[in-house]
Amino acid sequence: MKLGIISFAHMHAYSYARALQDLDGVELCGISDENEARGREAAAKFGVTYFADYNALLSEDIDAVIVTSENVNHHKHVLAAAKAGKHVLCEKPLGTTLEEMKEMVNVCRENGVKLQTAFPVRFNTSIQQGKKIIEEGKLGRIIAMKGTNRGTNPGGWFVIKSLSGGGAVMDHTVHVVDIMRWFMNAEVTEVYAEAGQFFSDQIDDCGLLTMEFDNGVFATLDCSWSRNKAYPTWGDVTLEVIGTEGTIFIDAFGQKLNVYSDSSGANWHYWGDDMDAGLVKDFIECIKEDREPSITGEDGLKAVEVALAAYKAAEQKSPVKLTILK
Amino acid sequence: MQHVLVIGAGTMGTVHASSYAKMENVELAGIVDIRKQIGGPLAAKLNTNYFTSFEEAVTQLPRIDVIDVCLPTYLHKKYVLKAADLGKHVICEKPLARTKEDAKEMISYCKEKGVKLFVGHVLRFFPEYVKAKEIIDKNEIGKPAMARTTRGGIFPTAWNDWYADYKNSGGLVLDMIIHDIDFLRWCFGDVKRVYAKSVLGRSFNRIDYALLTLRFENGMIAHVEGTWAHEGFSTYLEIAGDNGIIEFDSKKEKSIYAQIRQKENGGGVAVPSSPLKENPYYQELAHFMECIENDCEPIVSAEDAFKAVEISLAALESIETGKVVEIKPSLTHA
Repeated sequence: MKLGIISFAHMHAYSYARALQDLDGVELCGISDENEARGREAAAKFGVTYFADYNALLSEDIDAVIVTSENVNHHKHVLAAAKAGKHVLCEKPLGTTLEEMKEMVNVCRENGVKLQTAFPVRFNTSIQQGKKIIEEGKLGRIIAMKGTNRGTNPGGWFVIKSLSGGGAVMDHTVHVVDIMRWFMNAEVTEVYAEAGQFFSDQIDDCGLLTMEFDNGVFATLDCSWSRNKAYPTWGDVTLEVIGTEGTIFIDAFGQKLNVYSDSSGANWHYWGDDMDAGLVKDFIECIKEDREPSITGEDGLKAVEVALAAYKAAEQKSPVKLTILK
Repeated sequence: MQHVLVIGAGTMGTVHASSYAKMENVELAGIVDIRKQIGGPLAAKLNTNYFTSFEEAVTQLPRIDVIDVCLPTYLHKKYVLKAADLGKHVICEKPLARTKEDAKEMISYCKEKGVKLFVGHVLRFFPEYVKAKEIIDKNEIGKPAMARTTRGGIFPTAWNDWYADYKNSGGLVLDMIIHDIDFLRWCFGDVKRVYAKSVLGRSFNRIDYALLTLRFENGMIAHVEGTWAHEGFSTYLEIAGDNGIIEFDSKKEKSIYAQIRQKENGGGVAVPSSPLKENPYYQELAHFMECIENDCEPIVSAEDAFKAVEISLAALESIETGKVVEIKPSLTHA
């Protein structure tokens, strides 16, 4: 199977590329990037051809592409790939407006290509273990959830709204909302949020969401870029689940070594399973087996819908009901 | 030398009475509890007088300077007012009252009667929380942006199961995470609006769980978690500023870890703990005694306690209505 990568704007492109090259029977054939220097460097690093124009990459004999461009460019890249008949694994957030995401989902369906949203956290082994515990009914009925997906302000295009569509709330709402939806097979019906700018003056960098689900569960999610330079790691993904018969707490990156270095300070080094590799492997398998992607375009859309509602709620200072359900 | 009468021999009454008994310049005058089998042995153990009623105690004791009310929340007002009527200084367990109106009345009544009213917001005496505030005040983490707190454990069992009666206790939002609410107000000032969710109205038996979002006047955001859905008590505090982060997790920060080998039944039970020479309750009550002796202002005022009740009740209102509740300044210093 042959793949290409459109844009290395998002740093996850590097781990996806490595994951592709580690898979048997899979070939990374080309990289396109509007930023020529970045594209050429990545192409050289992975030993593949550089394409200045993504349409040229799409006209090659490849089966699928991974889209890791700036958030606002997902739309045009996914549409072009679909029309060229290439399956797509698209970085999260799937898009920045509901209309664009609906079009992405529809165009991929019309052209008979698979659209998978890149939610690698579903492939974190501890998260998968958590889902198993819930499905076995060990927690009884779920009452509430409390999640965090904190990070460090990534800077660059992430803090330019015309490229990212939003700051921390856009960037860090979707992973854990997707996990909550996936754990419960339930949809968010209402969102409230407080958001703020504390760490820079460019874009929202703190957010705290409260959600109601259609199964009567309530949840909060802290999506802030609140980890500072001296903090021992970049951020976290944690999820606490409260059930009638018990609770679980998942710290998705809790498998770590604490390292204290005179040259690089205090750092946590993660040694758990590589979830990005799991995501890429799953995408390849879904193409090979010609099955529905395990994480669909609709999943990507629904998670972004929550982030967009959070912005609206924060602005109007009252909860926002979600209307497009199931 | 202050002579203190403790009303209520439950969990908190026991802690308070035991603290007074250890203080050199304080006389534990007596303990009141309607339950003979509980109040009697505690009084005997602490070498003090036992009474089955408030009236019996105040008529029989030759001297009382301070009355410490460690009763269920809905009984606070009745006994604080009774104590004030007798001209005694009052220490009242938190939350000050079940309603804002009661809290306000208790404060003004004590002022009228010229007695001091102290409220047991003991978190302001826990060294880890005191230290966190010092670090914030010294600007070591820069301008605070996000705070997260957790408090809780198993559903509390007490006399008459009063915690399970929401009308009387206000559930964990009013009873327990009011500690964190007061601490956050102490660090960051007044709260502007509150949004909250809890299991209230979702009918789960003997489980309470609440998640609050507080927005402060200074702009910062706080997430306050309260749980009576976990095993074992724990607390968590995290404050992220624009120049640093403070983290504290009571589950992890243990200084002694005992594991006593069992002769039978295989393995022993591990008991981690974090001991202090003087517990924070002792520090709190000693501070209140000092404020009485020296006629000075306490670290936590009755007005602070009112504000904490106000925020907790706003959270309960948000839980009940599903709406954001704005906090308007409502207590003017009379």
